[in-house]
Amino acid sequence: MLFNSLQYLVFLPTVFLLFWLIPHKLRVPLLLVSSYVFYMSWRPIYGLLILGLTVSNFLLVPLIARSVEQKTKKWWLAGVVAVNLVTLGIFKYANFGMQTVKDTFNIFGVNFHEPHLHIILPLGISFFVFEFIHYAVEVYRGKPLVKNFMDFALFASFFPTQIAGPIKRYQDFIPQLSIPSKFKWQYLDDGMQLILMGLFKKVIIADNLSLVAQAGFSHPASFSSLDLWLITYSFAFQIFFDFAGYTDIARGSAMLFGYKVPINFNLPYLASNVSNFWDRWHISLSTWLRDYLFIPLGGSRCSRLKVYRNLFITMALGGLWHGAAMHFFAWGVYQGVILIAHREYSRLLQKTGMASKLLSSKVYHVASIILTFHVVCIGWVLFRAESIKDAFFIIGKMLAAPAALLHFSVAQLSILQIRDPIIFPALLVILPVLMVAHVMVNWLNDKKLYLSPPWALQVGVMVALMCVLTIFSPDTSPRFIYFQF
Amino acid sequence: MATCDSATGSRQCCCSKRNATAVPDFLERLLSARFVVAVLSFMTICALAATLSLGKRPSQQFSEHNWASWAFQDFLTVREKPQVVFLGSSLVLVPVAGVDANFLNRRLDGSQHHRSFYFEQRFKEATGAPVRTFNLALPGEMPSDAYLMTDFLLDGEKKPDILIYGVGPRDFMDNILPSPASTDAFHSLARLGDVSRLLDRVMPEWTDKLNFKLGRTFYLYGKKEDLSVAASRLSSSVLARLAPVPPGKSAFTVEQRRQLMPLYHPCELTAGDAFFRPSRSEQSIDNLAEYRKRYATVRWDTFATQMRFFTELLDVARQREIHVVVVSMPVTDINRSLIADYAWLAYRQSVHVLATLKGATFIDLQGSGAFKTADFMDTVHLHSGGGKKMLDIIVDTLAQRASCALSAKPDVQKLCNSTQAL
Repeated sequence: MLFNSLQYLVFLPTVFLLFWLIPHKLRVPLLLVSSYVFYMSWRPIYGLLILGLTVSNFLLVPLIARSVEQKTKKWWLAGVVAVNLVTLGIFKYANFGMQTVKDTFNIFGVNFHEPHLHIILPLGISFFVFEFIHYAVEVYRGKPLVKNFMDFALFASFFPTQIAGPIKRYQDFIPQLSIPSKFKWQYLDDGMQLILMGLFKKVIIADNLSLVAQAGFSHPASFSSLDLWLITYSFAFQIFFDFAGYTDIARGSAMLFGYKVPINFNLPYLASNVSNFWDRWHISLSTWLRDYLFIPLGGSRCSRLKVYRNLFITMALGGLWHGAAMHFFAWGVYQGVILIAHREYSRLLQKTGMASKLLSSKVYHVASIILTFHVVCIGWVLFRAESIKDAFFIIGKMLAAPAALLHFSVAQLSILQIRDPIIFPALLVILPVLMVAHVMVNWLNDKKLYLSPPWALQVGVMVALMCVLTIFSPDTSPRFIYFQF
Repeated sequence: MATCDSATGSRQCCCSKRNATAVPDFLERLLSARFVVAVLSFMTICALAATLSLGKRPSQQFSEHNWASWAFQDFLTVREKPQVVFLGSSLVLVPVAGVDANFLNRRLDGSQHHRSFYFEQRFKEATGAPVRTFNLALPGEMPSDAYLMTDFLLDGEKKPDILIYGVGPRDFMDNILPSPASTDAFHSLARLGDVSRLLDRVMPEWTDKLNFKLGRTFYLYGKKEDLSVAASRLSSSVLARLAPVPPGKSAFTVEQRRQLMPLYHPCELTAGDAFFRPSRSEQSIDNLAEYRKRYATVRWDTFATQMRFFTELLDVARQREIHVVVVSMPVTDINRSLIADYAWLAYRQSVHVLATLKGATFIDLQGSGAFKTADFMDTVHLHSGGGKKMLDIIVDTLAQRASCALSAKPDVQKLCNSTQAL
């Protein structure tokens, strides 16, 4: 069931009404049943997968807590993590692994037909598996167990965050379930405002930009270097608004029940360096990778080389988490390399004593935002391209842009000459507007008007969103990008 | 004023007082909720827009050009009344237009050519009666579409005398079709008439029904196509002024765009996009894979629904005194072999029995044995040579039966007056 579907338009209000009409003790069971209905509406059989993992983790994790010896604890933790990772591996990486082995053997002239498993990737598996691992590690670190099975099962399957996060922390989520809250109109107002905003981001912005990305990335040879930059900018905003839209709808849906789930984005394209970018982009994943991969590997409290090794491994695996394909792995590797490069650069600045002077300069700050955005955009090419070969072709062409800019004319931009759909000629207006919107929101963030806007303004925005969504939402909308992960 | 003497009475009184204050209190809270006020405002805007018919375009102005909208627009604007109308899928469209390309010896634009000059000529030769034809056969046309065309278009001044409806097995058992409402023809036809009475049949999924009803309830949603097209045209004209196509450059054609974005408006057809060309040597195309998918499993609900539409088409035509000629279109043996025997039998017998029962003329090209594999351009579509053979048989049959129809059908009588004179 998609958030931007008619099924959800019926499902969500039904669950919302039932939730507030029934006694508190029945609310968790209701949400649990609803979450399984939500999940199984796609492929009923995969309900067993999430149930199986829930039961396994609920039964196995207490063994970690009960173990007295540290060594035994560690073994049990390894076992629980293995159960989760093996499941993820089978469903997500089995075919990719076999193909990679085959390709490697091919290099040495050994050919064989690898068996192909007909496995359909279960929706959201990467997200709930990470939540289970988080729980196991936290219990290993001494945090309390979840005693109630229903609460635990709902933590993993909660429908607003089930398919594409945000990746929750059980210490934040489970306590909310036991608070016998009463209905507040504010839940409805804030929740619906977020849902409408999320739908706007997805359906109006991301889906339209997806047409540009689809045309450009499927036929890169048809476009000039400047075209390819415009196409890449479009994808940068598409993926942001697609995922931020999903997160808004998820957070808004949870808020309707009075629950809070973590944010995932904080104006990522205003990051002034790549490290800062990862503090602002997919926050629930980046903090997960930090807490459960980077730190266990040794984190940054070790030698410089080891820190770089840890960073590299974390980001490369983070890339692979996004999908079983070489271009995702390459994207992760690229992120690792640019994070290491940034650390080296910062160290150099510190060493030469230039840091304080440079960093306080406004021009440097703006320049670093622009540079970071472009470095991130090159990464998006690896992420979106249909193959590694295509990605390098596109990046190679994009690197020729400075030369093209020397004798720039609008005539160089073929992409603008696609007059239908209107998004193509409008790119020159829309892309700057989206960037300026980032800056505006950042400026407004600590303004009183933005923090508590007048009642009439909020109503006006909601009405405008309803009208725009009603008129301009397409009959069919592509799936959220992060659904495939 | 109620008095509250007893203990019970006091409690009731308190409760009623509490209720009396609780209801306005609830209403006050309800109306101070931003979302509730926003929904009420949205509904008011919808009602106002409906009153003003905001952005509504005439029903004949279709938002997208495709095979169906070109044909309907042409049919609605053509001045001369067509006496003979063709209905059917590409099984009819391709040979009828292909024959004309050969007959006229020039390429014919599929978006503009909606007649059969060859049929007109042959009919005149056979009967002496000049007729005007209109070809409403469309790629993928289902009996549900054919029924709606008959109901919405073939009426009043545009009522033809003869309706030639070519049917094939795919029309009744296409697995690929999600619902009768999913064809381009249906989408365009829904603008021309009220389809709500057919909702259960054309939109079996509850989500489709809900979508339709939301469109009826909220004006902005129901007219979203008109409104978004109007907004798109407005912004296009603004952008054309702000960022015109630079000299020496040209805007992408629909064909170029289709190569880049095959999924964007895949069925759009602009003038000059598709031609029927004169051809002497016919190459055979293998389209079995496509038909394997279409016939993979027999969906009896689809079969029953489409057969019901077929029956209703015959009923409507009979009520309007349009003589229907049902043509069982030929398919190759290899294509037929993809269909389960019981499904094939059900199709063949149902079409024959219904056509006969409803007083239609039934021409069984499939069973005639007149068509060999060499008459086809693939496993189902007759090429222009095969199409010529098909039209000859239809004309000959009509000419033979014209005298029989004279007494029963006054409209056919008109057509056959010249035959009588001859």
